[in-house]
Amino acid sequence: MGQGMIIWRVVCKSAVYCSLSLVFLSFFTNMATASCITGACHQELQAFARLHDPVAADECLSCHESVVKDHPLKKGRSFKLVAEGAALCVECHDSFDPAAGKLHPAVADGECLVCHNPHGGGSVGLLRAAGDLKVICFECHDATSFEQKFVHGPAAAGVCFECHLPHQSKHKNLLLSDSRSLCLRCHADLVAGLENSAVIHAPLNESDCSVCHEVHGGSFAHLLKEDGQKLCFTCHDELADKYKRAKTKHAALYEVDRCGNCHSPHFSQHAALLPEQESVVCLRCHGKDDFKRSHSLANVRTELAGKEHLHGPLTDGKCSACHDPHGSDFYRLLVDAYPESFYAPYSKGVYAFCLSCHEENLLRFPETSIYTRFRNGKHNLHYTHVADPRKGRTCRACHQAHASNGPKLVNEEGAVFGDWRIPLRLVLTDTGGSCSPGCHRRISYDRENPVLKK
Amino acid sequence: MSVVFAVNRPGSLRSVFLAVLVILSLLLSACAGPEVVRPEGSVFFPPVPNPPRVQYLTKISSSTDIDGKKLGGLSILAVGDTRAEKPKPIIKPYGITVRNGKLYVCDTSPGRLIVIDPARKSFEFLKGNYSFGKLKKPINSALDSAGNLYVADTMRKEVLVYGPSGNFLRSFGKGMEMKPVDVAIDGDYLYVLDLKSHDVKILNRKNGKLLETIGNDSENKHLLSMPISMDTDSKGSIFISNMTSGKIINLDRDGHLLGEFGKLGDGFGQFGRPKGLAVDDQGRIYVVDAAHQNVQIFNKEGRLLMFFGDPGLPFGSLNLPAGIDVTSEGIDLFKEYIDPTFAVEQLIFVTSQFGPAKISVYGLGELKK
Repeated sequence: MGQGMIIWRVVCKSAVYCSLSLVFLSFFTNMATASCITGACHQELQAFARLHDPVAADECLSCHESVVKDHPLKKGRSFKLVAEGAALCVECHDSFDPAAGKLHPAVADGECLVCHNPHGGGSVGLLRAAGDLKVICFECHDATSFEQKFVHGPAAAGVCFECHLPHQSKHKNLLLSDSRSLCLRCHADLVAGLENSAVIHAPLNESDCSVCHEVHGGSFAHLLKEDGQKLCFTCHDELADKYKRAKTKHAALYEVDRCGNCHSPHFSQHAALLPEQESVVCLRCHGKDDFKRSHSLANVRTELAGKEHLHGPLTDGKCSACHDPHGSDFYRLLVDAYPESFYAPYSKGVYAFCLSCHEENLLRFPETSIYTRFRNGKHNLHYTHVADPRKGRTCRACHQAHASNGPKLVNEEGAVFGDWRIPLRLVLTDTGGSCSPGCHRRISYDRENPVLKK
Repeated sequence: MSVVFAVNRPGSLRSVFLAVLVILSLLLSACAGPEVVRPEGSVFFPPVPNPPRVQYLTKISSSTDIDGKKLGGLSILAVGDTRAEKPKPIIKPYGITVRNGKLYVCDTSPGRLIVIDPARKSFEFLKGNYSFGKLKKPINSALDSAGNLYVADTMRKEVLVYGPSGNFLRSFGKGMEMKPVDVAIDGDYLYVLDLKSHDVKILNRKNGKLLETIGNDSENKHLLSMPISMDTDSKGSIFISNMTSGKIINLDRDGHLLGEFGKLGDGFGQFGRPKGLAVDDQGRIYVVDAAHQNVQIFNKEGRLLMFFGDPGLPFGSLNLPAGIDVTSEGIDLFKEYIDPTFAVEQLIFVTSQFGPAKISVYGLGELKK
């Protein structure tokens, strides 16, 4: 063997050893720098904006363990989870004590992956969807209420966590807090009113907002559960029948906001949740001239303005003592019977409305020394005027209903009698008086010394 | 079921009886309704299971019940007038009037009127009951706003008037041929219930002038029938008990019939012999029945509310009752007798002509909440 041959052999052997060394070096270099997700196999995990901490730390084996030496296998798995379901998660994350509150069913079942990705996600919590959480929630929860005409803001935005806790809560429906406090976190404009108002709508004190409002979405404005008065009648059922069957209906109840035309829904300083004193509320409609309508409402405000005497209930600002705003079977929404016509002879019940406050025996006896001061001796002149079986005159012939400058609400301007207003011209004395209305000549009466009939 | 039981086991009458008894007791307990917890020891009406509304409080039969002084033993050392030491008994009371915390009791047999002031613990005979003011058979009385006392005397057939201090002032009715059995005041009007004419005479309270007669006029012939007692409500209308018709008649001052209720009988709301009548400030009408020996309470529409005082109880029963009056004043004076669980709103005083309790005191109210 020549020297050249020896050199050739040495060169060849060196080349082989170097190649083998490079192969081994290359192998061990790869072993030292590549991981499960940087390698060729699980690179898709790098696409997550946020990685599960063990993944980011390349601690795959904190969750996975090898079951066979070869990996990957063409068939079957060479790794398995170190524990199943929530048992794996609670090795790092706190577990939930069922006694501490109601659990989300997925949590209770240990199904964390219903909502979370195990390796990474787009947001904090590694949720399976970022931004609009409805995507996740609707996989289990019904989406119907979110597809209504009106949708609650947070529901529309899919920020379910504004109201709900995802894992556990002491409050119903996994709410962040009790219903009323929860709503007032955002609807802060109601807080001051609720704290400072004399009258609070009962559900707000005794229950929660969801008695009247849908929480996610609904078919009616303000997320109300029912339309207008129907919602109110679910609790105020005594008014439902009146609403349907009343012979005389209050127009306000059947227009636009219905009950809301007169009542505040949440709170008020006034009884019955009226936004203002009762008579003020009524006069908003009944205290103005409406020239747009052929049969406009009477302007009661002008009837009251500057008058010396108001009808008793009106001195307390009450209209409901005489009128039922929710409907009535009687004339002008009165709470009891009163004739609509100018003439209506007295009989029991015909004047029940007036006599429910005024002396019940006023019109009962032709002679009395007790029930009226409008008498000549014992001759009951109220009886004479009203109980005349042929032409009994109603109270309006002499009295104003709302206000007057005359005592006993005597109608000084005169009762409306067709196109004419009948003057009354009443003159009172200590023991009687006289009048010369458009009906008869001046006639006097005296309680103590009866005036003889001419 | 009990019949089948008897057929199958002839001769087992005792078992049948027991079975029937058990079934009946079960049925009765089922009908009893919700249990009403009543305080023990106190006498309440109506009986269980109804909630208590009237409590028997105490009795007044002599001055001892008021001033606490008892008759001392016979003392040979006693000097002077020892009569002052003796308790003064109520013999046969009829009408009773309660006003401003004082009780005015007509004691018919001895012909005297007793004025009892529980607040001052005084028990005195009417001062003016002598000479022209001597009572023969006082049966009912009334007071006006000035404190004058008007007493109907059926034997003198007059109404005697005494001043606030008890001195005799005048008498009304001489020549009217009446038998006054009750009196009532309404402003300047004095109502006199006349048993003889079956009517109410309206007199001027100050001079006794007869102004009008109502209750048996052309409009209301024979409306009253042996009227025996009357009272007025807060509006001045008059309620009159009638012995022979068993009706309570409600008239106004003009004699108009405003209403009536009751009839003779032994059912609820019926009367055997109606006597004293009182109306409280809530419009409830209390009617004493001398035959049923109880008091029935009606609302202003004449609906029976309850009754109390029937015979048979160791305490709280009436014995030929006659007069009655009701007041919401002076309840605290009887506070020591009121059960701590019971709130009294009206005191009821009822006279019994016999028995140990001549005046029975009751409280109308309800259990405290």
